[in-house]
Amino acid sequence: MHRDESMNRRSARLAAVLMALLLVTGQAAQASSKSITLPPDGVTLKASDLPGYAKAQAICAACHSAEYMQFQPPNAARPYWEAMVNRMKTVFKAPIDDADIPLIVDYLAQTYGNQRAH
Amino acid sequence: MSRSLDSAPTRRRLLGGLVGSAALASLGAPMRAALAQSTIEQPFANGRRNLVAYPEKRPLIVLTSRPPQLETPFEIFNDGLITPNDAFFVRYHNAGIPTVIDADAHRIKIFGNAVGKPYELSLAALRSEFRSVELVAVNQCSGNSRGLFNPRVTGGQLANGAMGNARWLGVPLKDVLARAELKSSAREVTLNGLDFALAGGGDFVKSLQVNHAMDGEVMIAYQMNGADIPVLNGYPVKLVVPGYYGTYWVKHLSEIEVVDQSFEGFWMKPAYRVPDNDCACVDPGTAPAATRPIGRFNVRSFITSIGDGGRLPAGADALIRGIAFDGGQGIREVAYSVDGGQSWREARLGDDLGRYSFREFTFGFKPTRGSYDLRVRAWNRSGQSQPMEALWQPAGYMRNVVESVRVTAA
Repeated sequence: MHRDESMNRRSARLAAVLMALLLVTGQAAQASSKSITLPPDGVTLKASDLPGYAKAQAICAACHSAEYMQFQPPNAARPYWEAMVNRMKTVFKAPIDDADIPLIVDYLAQTYGNQRAH
Repeated sequence: MSRSLDSAPTRRRLLGGLVGSAALASLGAPMRAALAQSTIEQPFANGRRNLVAYPEKRPLIVLTSRPPQLETPFEIFNDGLITPNDAFFVRYHNAGIPTVIDADAHRIKIFGNAVGKPYELSLAALRSEFRSVELVAVNQCSGNSRGLFNPRVTGGQLANGAMGNARWLGVPLKDVLARAELKSSAREVTLNGLDFALAGGGDFVKSLQVNHAMDGEVMIAYQMNGADIPVLNGYPVKLVVPGYYGTYWVKHLSEIEVVDQSFEGFWMKPAYRVPDNDCACVDPGTAPAATRPIGRFNVRSFITSIGDGGRLPAGADALIRGIAFDGGQGIREVAYSVDGGQSWREARLGDDLGRYSFREFTFGFKPTRGSYDLRVRAWNRSGQSQPMEALWQPAGYMRNVVESVRVTAA
């Protein structure tokens, strides 16, 4: 009886060790693949009556969140916003009609730049 | 490095708390607590930021949500010389982010018109067929501290937390390149990762001179602080370019192209360039006559155990702690001043984890009742140091002025 009990304990211990090994190797296999889910944007474009607002929502916000605009320093002047919109079109191939560029720049400079109403 | 000194609230915490309590007084207590913890105020105008926990990260300062750019809250640098993976800063350039990565299927392609034998490398082969090396090295964003420029410059408005120090394990890029049998025509090595540009232009590709890529120190890392690299820091493999700004530390490394000419993609030119002169600076508001790609870190040092606006007990011994680093010469000396730079004494240096690592320094200080302007200034082994007045450049890179931490003893 004693011997059986100790055998049982040993089997139980062996099973526990095997289970631990399985868990470890299972984790190692899982670690070779990773999947993440990114949180939603923390900031959205500020609403405006300017015609550039809707265009910025459709074009700018398609690729990046609005902190890029909102967190610029208060002295950000029109040439900066103009250079950024042009860069988005020429370098990053954002589908911006040339006619819309001044509208978007107006919206950005007057909403986030040094042309803001105080 | 344990947190023995009870740090007074940093200026950021203090302002965040004040703003929170004033603006949110009408909300219920639980809501107030949740919101108060989720925003901070950076020490510059328009500096309100959210704190959000991204995947594999603790709550960090959100510079941008999409693509993620996350800054490390500065008080974390007082917790130890190694920055934890879940607190390490994040900087992407394009919103096309690989959110599902199968490391077993991942390949690094080595190719180009200046290699004799192009090949593809799996992670298993990288780990088993090459000698591994380990190095403690600081990674710092080129634009770290940009928000502190005066006059302000446009771009990502960061305080001082877009840096971190980690123990990297990987394989020398030199050995991986050697297997491809570089031709004598090899001039530059371009590096690309799995992240991509959503509208088709401006993929993030960087370039190193071939002699730099072959220096034996540039590394393809597959572990960070003894663990897998977090996805947002470049899982499964990241280029580590010791002593150089983070722009070269390409994440999710997947393509290495060796070419016989100068690579001039957007992220090498015109982006990430500094004035081509000794100080990498120009008069505020002016444009440089010529530029060069940004390169090595300059010398920096920070007090970490107490922040601007902090308080110390009058008449008691205070131990002030901080970190210093440079572009790879190693820190030789740190001096400190408690009177705004009028007089200086030498701080004690802590453990040397290598010349690319943060180096701890400490100094004792027994203040009587009053106000103190604490400053620290480091020198590296070539005698390079930090300017007393901030230098300026239009892109807002490479700030390394001697910082001022004003504290009160009461």
